[in-house]
Amino acid sequence: MSRAATNVVSTDAMLMSAIRSGDEQAMAQLYERYSSIVYSVALRVLGDTGAAEDILQEVFMQLWRSPDTFDATRGSLPGWLAVITRNRAIDSLRKRRPETDITDVIVSIEPDLVGGAELSRALERIRCALGGMPPPQRSALEMAFFEGLTHTEIAEKTGQPLGTIKTRIRAGLLTLRKAFNP
Amino acid sequence: MSVHEQFADDLSPYALGALQGEERLAVEKHLQDCPDCRHDLAQLQGDLALLALSASGPKPPLRSRERLMAAIAKEPRRTPVRLVKRKTWWTAVEWATAAAAVAVLALLLRQNTDMRQSLAALEANSTGQQEQLLQAKELIATLTSADAVHFTLVAGKIPPQPQGKAIYLRGTGTLVFLASNMPELPPQKTYELWLIPTSGAPIPAGLFRPDAHGSAALIKPPLPTGVEAKTFAITVEPGAGSAAPTSRPIMVGIGG
Repeated sequence: MSRAATNVVSTDAMLMSAIRSGDEQAMAQLYERYSSIVYSVALRVLGDTGAAEDILQEVFMQLWRSPDTFDATRGSLPGWLAVITRNRAIDSLRKRRPETDITDVIVSIEPDLVGGAELSRALERIRCALGGMPPPQRSALEMAFFEGLTHTEIAEKTGQPLGTIKTRIRAGLLTLRKAFNP
Repeated sequence: MSVHEQFADDLSPYALGALQGEERLAVEKHLQDCPDCRHDLAQLQGDLALLALSASGPKPPLRSRERLMAAIAKEPRRTPVRLVKRKTWWTAVEWATAAAAVAVLALLLRQNTDMRQSLAALEANSTGQQEQLLQAKELIATLTSADAVHFTLVAGKIPPQPQGKAIYLRGTGTLVFLASNMPELPPQKTYELWLIPTSGAPIPAGLFRPDAHGSAALIKPPLPTGVEAKTFAITVEPGAGSAAPTSRPIMVGIGG
């Protein structure tokens, strides 16, 4: 039996270490832990279950083939997976080749999300922070992130000045950060 | 507005992938030379990760798991690569040499993988390689710098003796930590390394669990820059780690 399979609770670092050694069970555990995050983000961006499944497959296969693309210096694994999934999904939406090398993505995030109850609590705080934002601010932020629109495109779509859109997005991101670092 | 401020202003659209062409290249070039902006970008990516996580909810169909596991089974298995395997005690020079070799090996492995990709993908990856090279150079500079402070952490004289070596460069907040003969932990516990500043509360410097040989490594965990270290210490914490120590240190640095 593999080392990862004998542990009731393996940390992300332990699972990644086992994956580097070619441990398929460790990959299965990591999938159980984070497939929902990857799938949800891809589905939110693409709005299509089949396309979201393709991105899910692509992201986890990339991790299996090149596990060294993620290490502790990249930050939180679920945060990193969420960001690279969003980037891949936006590339797919815009039918363009991947623009961001995933080894460039470093995610500095508080708290250190490790799944389970802690992740659930964090999600509650994130949704609460989003719910408390002024609707135009939240809308600008979500258009930029989940629809992949540029600031100029958002300004044209909403009829607001470019500077206003920039300010709303910056303030929105700051609100999310402050939900964890008041 | 200074040049730096101008780039700082571009970081959120850059993180969102909303910059194109020359604007994007200019930010990437600036990032290579500006650790502050790299730090800010990492924080912005963290903010975006929180936003991404807000979409969490739907679960993928079962067939996705089967598809992935079937695809993985078809891929050739890799030869295990371990960062730290030796059981014998290393001298400081051996530690430093081995850590530098790991950095160079990781770089070479990555370059080897990239060579198998198409020319277009190589072009897209070139910025990432430069970043990787900068990180490797930074790591080697830390290991060899005359300004780096070396701490030796010990827990007793009964063999095999748990030991840790923390090599810390205050100016860049860069830390390399290597441990050997560490006792095994219960599944829900982790070791946590702490930077003990000359004033103020201990700063978390990374979590680690030893491998089967009792060895572990932390390379460049996220730390603030410019903090003067009085010493380093290790505690046993719950699996997710703690923001402040919840138990007495089991190992403390004895020299600087």
